[in-house]
Amino acid sequence: MLLVAAAQLLHMTGSAEFGFENWRPTLYTYITWAICLCWGQVLLHGEHGKRTLFVLPAALFVISLTVFPLLFGLIIAFSDWNLSSPDGRSFNGLENVRQMWADPFYWNAMLNMVWYVLAILVEYAIAFALALALNAEIRARKFFRVAFLLPLMLSPVAVSWMIGKSMLEPRFGPIASLGRALGWDDPSFFGSPWIAKATIMVMDAWTFIPFMMIMILAGLQAIPKELHEAAKVDGANGWRAFWEVTFPMMLPVSITAILIRIIFKLKLADIVIAVTSGGPGGATDTVTSFIFREYRDRSNVGYGTLLAMVYLVVIVIAMTLLMKFAERISRPRT
Amino acid sequence: MKVDLYEAMSRAKLSRRRMLQGSAALGAMAAMPTAMGYGPAMAQDSVRAQILAIPGVGNGSPTDADWQKVGELCLGATKANVAEGEFAGVELTFMGLNNQNLHNLLFRGFLKPWETYTGAKINWIDLAQADYNPRLQQAIATGTVDFDIIEMGAPFEGETAGKGMLDEMPDWVKTQIEADDLVGYLQPPVGTWDGKSYRITIDGDCHTFAYRKDYFGEGAIGGAEVPKTWQEVNAVSRALIGQTDPLTGLPAHGYLDPLKGWGGFGFYFLANRATAYVKHPDDRAWLFDPDTMKPRVNNEGWVQAIQDVMDLIAAGAYPADQINADPGTTGFSQFLAGTGSMLMWWGDIGSSARTSDTSVVGDVVGFGINPGSSRRYNSVAGAWEETANEAPLMAYIGWGIYVTNRVSGDEKKRKAAWSAAAHLGGKDLSLWTAAYPSGFQPYRNSHFNYDEWAAAGYDKDFVADYLGSNADSYNHPNAAIEPRIPGIFQYYSVAEDELAKGYSGQYASAQETADAIAAAWEKITDQIGRDSQIALYKASLGM
Repeated sequence: MLLVAAAQLLHMTGSAEFGFENWRPTLYTYITWAICLCWGQVLLHGEHGKRTLFVLPAALFVISLTVFPLLFGLIIAFSDWNLSSPDGRSFNGLENVRQMWADPFYWNAMLNMVWYVLAILVEYAIAFALALALNAEIRARKFFRVAFLLPLMLSPVAVSWMIGKSMLEPRFGPIASLGRALGWDDPSFFGSPWIAKATIMVMDAWTFIPFMMIMILAGLQAIPKELHEAAKVDGANGWRAFWEVTFPMMLPVSITAILIRIIFKLKLADIVIAVTSGGPGGATDTVTSFIFREYRDRSNVGYGTLLAMVYLVVIVIAMTLLMKFAERISRPRT
Repeated sequence: MKVDLYEAMSRAKLSRRRMLQGSAALGAMAAMPTAMGYGPAMAQDSVRAQILAIPGVGNGSPTDADWQKVGELCLGATKANVAEGEFAGVELTFMGLNNQNLHNLLFRGFLKPWETYTGAKINWIDLAQADYNPRLQQAIATGTVDFDIIEMGAPFEGETAGKGMLDEMPDWVKTQIEADDLVGYLQPPVGTWDGKSYRITIDGDCHTFAYRKDYFGEGAIGGAEVPKTWQEVNAVSRALIGQTDPLTGLPAHGYLDPLKGWGGFGFYFLANRATAYVKHPDDRAWLFDPDTMKPRVNNEGWVQAIQDVMDLIAAGAYPADQINADPGTTGFSQFLAGTGSMLMWWGDIGSSARTSDTSVVGDVVGFGINPGSSRRYNSVAGAWEETANEAPLMAYIGWGIYVTNRVSGDEKKRKAAWSAAAHLGGKDLSLWTAAYPSGFQPYRNSHFNYDEWAAAGYDKDFVADYLGSNADSYNHPNAAIEPRIPGIFQYYSVAEDELAKGYSGQYASAQETADAIAAAWEKITDQIGRDSQIALYKASLGM
């Protein structure tokens, strides 16, 4: 199997003339090898081998669907591959890395991501407040729970058109009209860089705050009532009870909600693509929307793949650090 | 036909004697116009008149039943070349668009009677515009072309015909579609590569100038005369700042530049301005130097076009949030809705101005060709010439139907594919697509018979104005033809990003913006291959 794969790899990179036209022979060899491996387990290990079959085929399947594409992606990332080029793909070493280093659009998008991620703290505060309200004994609580969840059920593209293209439309949009009524002469929500960035943040937040809210609400409902009653007996008012009981108890859930939200946020693209295309002048661009443009509009497969790979590495490092930090702050104080 | 006649008469329970009498009378009637010299024309005119009445002006949008009816009425040319049931058992795959629920959706209806008659079956791949380019590019790059017939724009001929992916058009197809009827600019070299024909044209693209008539005239806010040059357009745009739109009562605005990208298509709108400055009558090239592929986009003419836009932004001449307006916004959300007084766009604006429910300008819209310039830049000499210039932009050169080389080895399948394509590109059927919502502009000389449109119920003055602007653009001796080179939309797309930075003030000047575009274009050229690009660029310009 390795020999077939190596032959194909050498042929593909131009290092050897022999090889196959495409990867199909390698795939067939892999399937044959996988079947032999499974069969061999049974023959060699008997009952124990049969037990292995509960996991091994799935593991081999995952390898073929994740490990192989990842390796293939790595090869492409170091290739010069423009789909319009008659010469096809060619290995270009670190040229894509050098290009990325000097690409102002990519780093601008990366910087924008920092702002977008920081906005999650505001989202979290709002989500917490809403969760507290829905956890309280208020009227029509069930209705509000469902109503607040509705934005999460909408497609981001629908949100883009409903809010970005309709409600915020500068001439006839109701929010623009309200802005005019309040004395804003020129209610343009996507005209200047910071307002456009903030508007995108608000639209994205409107969609995903319900997600954080529902997680926090579930956490709030899991806090034993006795703790609040004990705090009350000890003379703590509502504010103090929140900071001394509720918030610390909610820390693990909050961290989980924030981390998952960060993962969602790092993939932000659809609203940006549909509403601003990254403008004005890249002010709302995200890394994902930029990579999408590089790949879709410019057929620049090699460079686009490298950007995606680098972004993946950045995300993995950032999330690892964040999780370590989260683990530290959520550790019970002794 | 005789069988049809016999069956019709049988249904009417005619006696043999009455039938013979009737046949004789029909024969005499049929002979008379022939003897008078206009027989065949009358038959064809009859088809054209019949299809133009489906569903009829003012009778709502056409339906699938209408498309099928039109397809059936236009089957005559197919029947002359293909026997009934000749393609039984043949299956073809057709890849096209589904923009605005048009294109492929119409083709399905048009080809339904063709399928019934020939016995072939067509499988459809429908793609949104945004997905179309990557799908096609990937199919080409990975050698996974899984379609026999493709609806494609001429700019992609470099990537497809240039790579030997297409099947050459047989001569009988050229005869069937009456290719000589195409307007001048769609004649070869468009649709050909290395002297071979590949394309059945079904559309003719050019940008025309649409303006609000209520803004211009004696005592009107825009001045007495409709602007004829970009210098005048810019002056009017500035003069309208602070005035009120006579139709809507909202703030008046002049020309509507789209300042946001549109997947590469937005670049055409800067090119509209630039061609007036840089398309020299003595030089076919205007985007690149044909000998070196060095971009011309940062020469003084192009920089002037970018500077025009920057000046209007600085003057506050555009509607609020214009920086976030793409061409879809300027055309449909702004101009047709009564915002702004001047616009460059494809023919859709002309046909939608009167028929779209959202248009409020149908009664006050006029048309013309791309504004010119009072001076022009000579790229070869590197100097301005104080000579007036006009250069309508043939943006995208229209859609065509192409047959891929997947069918080349199977003569029956090949004939079937070309027959289906020829049916869609037929002369009569094209009149219908030019007249009704289809996504296609007029593109044949025979489409410009205004009386034919008027007889079908159209307002003749409006049609003459609208079609006239198309005809004048197509036939202009200095029309700017888009180069059909690989990756052309990559160049446009990257330019859109740089322009967005320039328009939002991130570059110090128009020249710096243009230089950034030129640098990005150089990278693309090097990546795709400079020598091959030079060769293909020259070929596409017929040099």
